[in-house]
Amino acid sequence: METLLAMTLGCLVAAGVYLMLAGDLLRFLFGLTLISNAVNLAIFTSGRITVGGTPPLVPDGAYEPAGDVANALPQALILTAIVIGFGLFAFALVLTLKAYGLLGTIDIDKMRLSEAKPDEDKA
Amino acid sequence: MIAADLSVILPEIVLSLYAMAALLIAVYNGKDAVASLVLRLTVAVLFLAALWVGLDHNDTRVGFGGMFIDDGFARFAKVTILLAASAVLLMSENYMARRNLLRFEYPILIVLAVVGMMVMVSAGDLMALYMGLELQSLALYVVAALRRDSVKSTEAGLKYYVLGALSSGLLLYGASLTYGFAGTTEFAGILQATQSGDLSLGLLFGLVFLISGLAFKVSAAPFHMWTPDVYEGSPTPVTAFFGTAPKMAAMALFARVAHDAFGAATADWGQVVALLSVASMFLGGIAAIGQTNIKRLMAYSSIAHMGYALMGLAAGTAFGVQAMLVYMAIYVTMNVGTFAFIMTMSRNGQPVTDIASLNNLSARDPLKALAMLVLMFSLAGVPPLVGFFGKYYVLNAALQADMAWLAVAGVIASVIGAFYYLRIVYYMYFGTETDPLDTVETPLLTSLVVASAAVMVVGIINLFGVEGFAAVAAASLVQ
Amino acid sequence: MADHSEHPASFWTAASLLPPLIAAALFAVFTTFLPAVAAGETLRYAWGWIPALGVDFSFVIDGLSLTFSLLISGIGIAVMLFSGRYLAGHPQHGRFSLYLVSFMLAMLGLVLADNLLVLFVFWELTTITSFLLIGFSHGSEVSRRAALQALLVTGAGGLAMLAGFLLIGAETGTFELSALREMGDVLRDSPLYIPILILVLCGAFTKSAQFPFHFWLPNAMAAPTPVSAFLHSATMVKGGVYLLARMHPNLAGTNTWLWTLVIFGAFTTVFASIVALRQNDLKQTLAYTTLMALGALVLFLAAPGGYAVTAAATFLVVHSLYKAALFLTIGCVDHATGTRDARRLGGLARRMPLTALAGGLAALSMAGMVPFIGFIGKELLYKGGLESPASPIIVTGAIFAASALMFAVAGVVALRPFWGSDGKMPLLDRPIREAPLPMLAGPLVLGVLGLYFGLSPHGLQVHVTDPIVGAILGDPDMAKELYLWAGFNLALILSILTFATGVAIYVFQDRIRERIVAAESRLMNFDALWDRLLAAIGTGARVVTDLLQPGIASRYLMAVFTTITLLIGSAILIRGLDIGTVGLSGVDGVHVVVFGLTIAGTLLAVVTNSRIAAITGLGVTGTGVALVFIMFGAPDVAITQILVEMLIVVLFSVAALKLPTLPQRLPFFHRRAHAAVSIALGAIVAGVVIAVTSVPLDLRLTEFFEANSYPEAHGRNIVNVILVDFRAFDTFGEISVVAIAAISAYALLRQRKTKGSQ
Repeated sequence: METLLAMTLGCLVAAGVYLMLAGDLLRFLFGLTLISNAVNLAIFTSGRITVGGTPPLVPDGAYEPAGDVANALPQALILTAIVIGFGLFAFALVLTLKAYGLLGTIDIDKMRLSEAKPDEDKA
Repeated sequence: MIAADLSVILPEIVLSLYAMAALLIAVYNGKDAVASLVLRLTVAVLFLAALWVGLDHNDTRVGFGGMFIDDGFARFAKVTILLAASAVLLMSENYMARRNLLRFEYPILIVLAVVGMMVMVSAGDLMALYMGLELQSLALYVVAALRRDSVKSTEAGLKYYVLGALSSGLLLYGASLTYGFAGTTEFAGILQATQSGDLSLGLLFGLVFLISGLAFKVSAAPFHMWTPDVYEGSPTPVTAFFGTAPKMAAMALFARVAHDAFGAATADWGQVVALLSVASMFLGGIAAIGQTNIKRLMAYSSIAHMGYALMGLAAGTAFGVQAMLVYMAIYVTMNVGTFAFIMTMSRNGQPVTDIASLNNLSARDPLKALAMLVLMFSLAGVPPLVGFFGKYYVLNAALQADMAWLAVAGVIASVIGAFYYLRIVYYMYFGTETDPLDTVETPLLTSLVVASAAVMVVGIINLFGVEGFAAVAAASLVQ
Repeated sequence: MADHSEHPASFWTAASLLPPLIAAALFAVFTTFLPAVAAGETLRYAWGWIPALGVDFSFVIDGLSLTFSLLISGIGIAVMLFSGRYLAGHPQHGRFSLYLVSFMLAMLGLVLADNLLVLFVFWELTTITSFLLIGFSHGSEVSRRAALQALLVTGAGGLAMLAGFLLIGAETGTFELSALREMGDVLRDSPLYIPILILVLCGAFTKSAQFPFHFWLPNAMAAPTPVSAFLHSATMVKGGVYLLARMHPNLAGTNTWLWTLVIFGAFTTVFASIVALRQNDLKQTLAYTTLMALGALVLFLAAPGGYAVTAAATFLVVHSLYKAALFLTIGCVDHATGTRDARRLGGLARRMPLTALAGGLAALSMAGMVPFIGFIGKELLYKGGLESPASPIIVTGAIFAASALMFAVAGVVALRPFWGSDGKMPLLDRPIREAPLPMLAGPLVLGVLGLYFGLSPHGLQVHVTDPIVGAILGDPDMAKELYLWAGFNLALILSILTFATGVAIYVFQDRIRERIVAAESRLMNFDALWDRLLAAIGTGARVVTDLLQPGIASRYLMAVFTTITLLIGSAILIRGLDIGTVGLSGVDGVHVVVFGLTIAGTLLAVVTNSRIAAITGLGVTGTGVALVFIMFGAPDVAITQILVEMLIVVLFSVAALKLPTLPQRLPFFHRRAHAAVSIALGAIVAGVVIAVTSVPLDLRLTEFFEANSYPEAHGRNIVNVILVDFRAFDTFGEISVVAIAAISAYALLRQRKTKGSQ
């Protein structure tokens, strides 16, 4: 089971990296979204998955959860990561919009002003 | 329990509340009209916070079940960060106001970034670390892109974001691997899980990813690529900020993770950090030679300097951490002065950053030129200025840790460093004047340049006792 | 420089008078140590400086450091007296005096330091003051270039030397020279001996201008003449020699040391004396003879023999005396006539008799004539050469060639300008006059001293050479006596032969000079090489920077991904990855569908060129991940995931309205490297995660939360309890991050609006 999960998240990472390398901002953001999903899955898997596990709830009247419950700690961590990731994503989108408005392109490889060589400057 | 926890993060909370209050007040009171006032108030608040953090107590307190650590190490870093942020804000007012860049979010974003840094250096848990880092990074992404209508500035912010987001991903992935093997994200727990000595391969991977993410933040080669663009593209006061407080925070965070969480595996990360250190020293030095823009030059110089600071860390000892802290404190001081100098450079009211414009400055402005000479020599590590002792400290740390090769590499790299700092001095003293810079009176900036240079000279007596504080701080981190 | 002599009154200023007084006071202080040192004592003074680094401010006075100190302060008096008059009226005379005095203090610090680090600090201070003094007339391009060249060559050498010192400290645990001299065997047996030797020699050879680092010294003659006399002849350039002498007890005694010093020293001394003969500018001539002397000193510090070290000690003093005197004499001539060109000068003895006297005395000592101290020095050199353990023929031969050439050069420097036929010197519109007294006093005294020490060498032996030999070899009894008449022996025969050859060279100098000039043009020109080196460094740096920093963000990302792949990949290759059992147990149809969905969405996002298709793909993937969370007991996470995923899709769609269509991607085969790195990274991540799950997890923390969730925090949903209670700090931070993201987005959008309204 873990193997299948791991392979899935491997696919997500490969696809994400490939998209990030494509050189335009929109694809970069797509890649970033995929990678944050992959990282969340990685945290989840690292906490070991319980096949057929129930949510980590303490039943009424009991003091501890009964039977096989899923690992609660990674779930808490993922929730934090998802929310922060979303904040970053939203900000990135705004930045992209601003960049497009100002630079007229979303191709990051064409944004080379600060590295421009003197002769290119004049051109 | 909650009250005790809160008292540990009281300074952070107060600063956050201040930021929120300032935001509200500014939004409802004419926005940029009060920007100047907000900025001055912020300078004072940050300065007072530095005093508070530095003088309040000197024991170690832990909050939130170990997620937040307030020890001597954290306080050393925090005081440096707060003072640097305060100084940089102070010197930016005039510059930004004259160029119509001063807006009320600027000081508030700086405060929020500082809060992020304070959380970073106090983090006792991978998730707390991640949050602190994001808090800081988000604010920095924005200030990097702050220059209105500037294409370069937007581009700088964007590239910074693209690479920064990646580094956050790496860091988070490293954290998840570490959790997967250690069963906890708390540093103390990780330390226990690795106590057996040999690091398991999985944890090693987790460590590699964590280090890669952290290396971004300290801009160590080969994770440095955002630095030159951001330094050049941002408004100079923002660059000054980048060159000071976040550098200290990231180095301190690096040391915190390395020692608090992986302190049992110094051999494993020591080698990786040593490689980063050598790569940074040489890459930064070589790339700086070809620069004609002083801000870009300072960017590459910062990469090289981070290489030296990492050398202290690579030693993996308490003395190494002490050396790193001393180095960083000195570096931050030199950078404040140097950037104050860069801010005084203008021609027809426009900021100028090409090195050739410094030609023959010594004849027109001997005091400033002399102060800059001292700063450049100090950055180059020319004895007997204080910068030399910073270098000597980290070299010694490497030697004591049986890393003689690293120390020798450091000395050789400093030959390269001497080369490009000297070029600036050469222009100022021996250059032939072409198109002179403005001679605008900037008493505040000039006095900061001179003060920083004076520190480099007077400090050789006893380094102002910084080494004592650093020793205490290092001892609280490395048991 | 020469035109300031019209203001003689301005000699009586602080800038003129203070420096010689300071030098004289120091000289007087140092003389008081002479009896103690002659008695074989070593005095040490230390103050703590930076205890954490083991750096003490410590100084030692023994034969070696005292002799150097006396030379520095003594010649300092002469030079400063001279420059007080020479530069009187110069607008920057004060600055010059400040530099000169600073140099003298730094140089004294260098030779007196007992701590290697303190020595290094002063070493670099002499480099910097030398830089400032060479570049003193910074209006001239030549001066600027020479100043920078000297700084870079000697500065880099100094840093190499520091690296050597650090290694010495690492090997022995101390930086104190006085402690180190007992530990020579530790260093000689150390595996780091060769690196240490190379690094220290780099420092010494650059400072003392040994071939192939010699080229900066003749260029440094761009400095005002007193500077050349003081720094670049009598004192600073001997810093390297001093270092070799100091390091003798620690590093000498091996064949590597012996042969390295013999080869470099012998080559430098012969090469320099040949080139010296062909110079026309007298200052250049003297610069090359300085190189010759430095080579000879290095040559004689190679072997630990009594004669060799005595010879080195004697020659050190001999050279400093005559060379400073000659430089100052040339300065007087330049001052009076406006030229230093040997071809123009002649017959000056009638108009400048005292200058001629000083120059003549010094030149006689340089030529090694009886009864000057130069003769004794040369005799000792021959004796030392003959007993050399390296190769008596090479050493003696080198000294013979050099001495004969020196004899001829002495004639060029002194005989022709003063007693030769009248020169063509109509350069100044005023008559040629005797130099003023402050300028003459120094060279006269120094010249007379050369004669005095020759006639009565005993004092010199007791106070200088014996203590130096004691300091270097550890045993003053190994020192040889200084005699004017040492009997009829091989050395005397060699001396006589030297005179004969020297006279021959002098007579045929014009023809020889032509040959040298012709030969030189065919040899490598190190000075031109230096310019090319500097240019190459600049170009190289730019090429490297363009390569590493092309400004293309995707290259940056690629570099990062590649670095990580390599790091992790090599770790896996070295240590192997134990991924446990690759089992598919417990997989059922639902799982396959969910994972299939996730991967399908991902693939769609990768291959499509349509924005809507890509966003849909992402949505599918996000939903698939949410389903995974549900399947394995994480409904809270799944709900959040779905919510966030929906928001992302909505935001993307809204943004897409304002953004252009996706740029056409390069076809796959153009991005093979990208694909390879992506797949490698994906495989590594998958492999590592499998490895993670194949080992048991320490669940104590989870169990703690499960056990305490209800009793402590009264919550039944353990995830919620963890978030709001046990890890409340995370949540606090999480909220802050989202808040900042909001403020940041606002700040950016506001800028955009402002732009639009302008």
